[in-house]
Amino acid sequence: MFKGYAGQFLRVDLTAGTCENFTIDERILRKFIGGSSLAAKLLIDSYPLDADPLAPESPLMVMTGPMVGSGFSGTSRFAVCAKSPQTGIWGEAACGGTFGPEMKRAGYDGIVITGKSPKPVILSLTDGTAKLVDASDLWGKDVYEVTDMLKAPDKSIKVLAIGPAGENLVKFSAIGNDKGHFIGRTGLGAVMGSKKLKAIIAKGSKSIEKADDARYKELAKAAIQEIKDSALAGSLHAMGTDAAMDPGMCNADVPVKNWSVGEDFNLSTNLGGPAMSEKYLTKAGACSNCSLACKRVVVVKEGPYQIEEGPGPEYETCGSFGTMIMNPDLTAVIKANELCNRYGMDTISCGAVIALAMELYEKGTVSKEEMDGMDLTWGNMEAVMPLIKKIAYREGFGDVLAEGSLKAARKIGKNAVDSVVHVKGLDLPMHDPRGFHGMGLAYMMSNRGACHNQHAVLATEQGMASWPQLFAMKDDYKGPSSDEKAVLVYNSENYGILANSLSICHFLVSTLQPETIRDAFNAITGFNLTFKDLLEAGMRDWTLKRGINNLMGVTSKDDVLPKRILTPLTEGAAAGSVPDMKRLLSEYYQIRGLDKRGFPKEEKLVELGLEELKARLYN
Amino acid sequence: MALKAFTQEWLDAFLKVIQDSQEYKEIAKEWEGSVSIIVNPDPSKGVPEPIYMWTDYWHGEAKDFHYCDKAEAETAKFVMSGDYSRWKQVVKKELDPTKALMQGKLKLKGDLTYVVKNVKTVNKVVDLLTTIGTIFPDD
Repeated sequence: MFKGYAGQFLRVDLTAGTCENFTIDERILRKFIGGSSLAAKLLIDSYPLDADPLAPESPLMVMTGPMVGSGFSGTSRFAVCAKSPQTGIWGEAACGGTFGPEMKRAGYDGIVITGKSPKPVILSLTDGTAKLVDASDLWGKDVYEVTDMLKAPDKSIKVLAIGPAGENLVKFSAIGNDKGHFIGRTGLGAVMGSKKLKAIIAKGSKSIEKADDARYKELAKAAIQEIKDSALAGSLHAMGTDAAMDPGMCNADVPVKNWSVGEDFNLSTNLGGPAMSEKYLTKAGACSNCSLACKRVVVVKEGPYQIEEGPGPEYETCGSFGTMIMNPDLTAVIKANELCNRYGMDTISCGAVIALAMELYEKGTVSKEEMDGMDLTWGNMEAVMPLIKKIAYREGFGDVLAEGSLKAARKIGKNAVDSVVHVKGLDLPMHDPRGFHGMGLAYMMSNRGACHNQHAVLATEQGMASWPQLFAMKDDYKGPSSDEKAVLVYNSENYGILANSLSICHFLVSTLQPETIRDAFNAITGFNLTFKDLLEAGMRDWTLKRGINNLMGVTSKDDVLPKRILTPLTEGAAAGSVPDMKRLLSEYYQIRGLDKRGFPKEEKLVELGLEELKARLYN
Repeated sequence: MALKAFTQEWLDAFLKVIQDSQEYKEIAKEWEGSVSIIVNPDPSKGVPEPIYMWTDYWHGEAKDFHYCDKAEAETAKFVMSGDYSRWKQVVKKELDPTKALMQGKLKLKGDLTYVVKNVKTVNKVVDLLTTIGTIFPDD
């Protein structure tokens, strides 16, 4: 076994109630590395792709990578992958926190869970052994409650749990790690809920062997200095990801009023990182062993939306529960964030579906009576708070919205779909492609639907990172322009994807020199991969997941931006500008090696060593 | 008329475009404090010594732009430094200074939160800076 890995994976059959350890061939690890890349390989090799996402035979995979838990800043990440109940295609989400490193210490690089337990259970991992434990008393508890209960005997236990939304199969339900870290996107909490798996807990004492321990320590120290010297890291530490709000409003990155308004500086001033730091921040929080510390710990002591000291919202949440729904009250965003955390829901999709409901209410598409008497006028947070609960528990109109924006709009009818801003069923995150055309292409081509984290386009197009040593880059890309964006997106995908296979933080990828990451990866694994090898691993990941999606029914017809994004804004930095979708796709398809159907070409599959996928796609 | 980059005449022109901007006065009414600009030397480009410049802003007014020495430059509320070629790109509107900061091509000492809170002011100053007709020593 190469170093860096725990050396063992776990297969759990919840129907049979069995847990079985297994290993993965080193040649496969070298090609797919770990994280969501390795999960995609496991899925296509051994599990049905045509099963319903919530069927027992659909697997849920929890994966780490070789650097996870190694003490290197930004390596606390882990990924959860499954067929998405929200989109019906490849689903994955990753977060930092504490669970990934503890899972490694408990002896596991990854877990594959199938079946359905007859009663609620938790999966307990301890030093190379796994067992299922009855959790009937935990079913119905929210994420914060269940986390506290499971940690009560020993605070060093790390918890990964769903809340009522996951239990109720809300299609954008999330999975929470120790309250402040969430597997948010693509509805994977519902997959856990469908299996009656309330939580996974881990506690371990194993250490991770490194191929070159001295070199790794040296690089870990160098990384801390690089983080200290980085303005991006400094900004994230001082203001969290919400540092993006004020500049984003200036350059048309921030969506306003369900993507229909170009700018609103009153909103950004009230909701931005400086406002949060000045008024509600008590301290910066950090994932395991991270010196960057971008997490927010906040308290609200006055007003209707008080919360005790706890996890604060990310930029995405300040967008989805702030600018998107015309709410200028940051305390209300903080409260909505806490409710979504407790119920276990993705704050992006939850805010997006509420923005949709507000727009449909304003247009008269859905009446007040149909909305259970709620007054869903823009910014009415008194209505939003109970609506969040109604969604989590699928009560009344909340049951319609719990299906997610696209399915809810289809059910409502009356052209409601025109107001849904999604790609492949996943709501856009809070970055407007009219301000940054490359992001539009990235949304169209991301394998989990509209996504800002399956690539590094956000960092490169917005100028937060530049890697001329990896590929030709300009110093400054014009945001509302489609020029030279296809090649930028292609390259930024191939490198950015590595964050998800190595299971390292995207902010680490943006902050550190690529040489530091490559050398640290090689020092821990002994793989001795070159940049060319690593970028090829990124290409392989993208192509494998695309092939899986093709087998799940995705074609070129699905690579489209929604109508709203192809409608120009009338004000702000991107006024009058929309991505040139036809040109972007044409250039990208050629570079990526896709045919007219949107399938990877046979020669590309052979080049990347994906012959088995080729056989599946072309037979 | 184009002016030689990073000279007192050039600084005077920089001060004047800001003072003449009504839009700046409105946007920058919250800003308080000085910004020093340090241009690292590059003898091969005609910049044999480091250049230290002092600029000062207060509630929508630009007050005092002058050459200074290293010791004075380092007392500013914000200190921005970078290589000559990067500053040239900024003045020529080829490189957004915020992006340059994030990529490590320029350095900033000072309270980042204050800068982000006043990002519209920063953007406006940069916009005005790029309107000055400038001749560079290596052109």
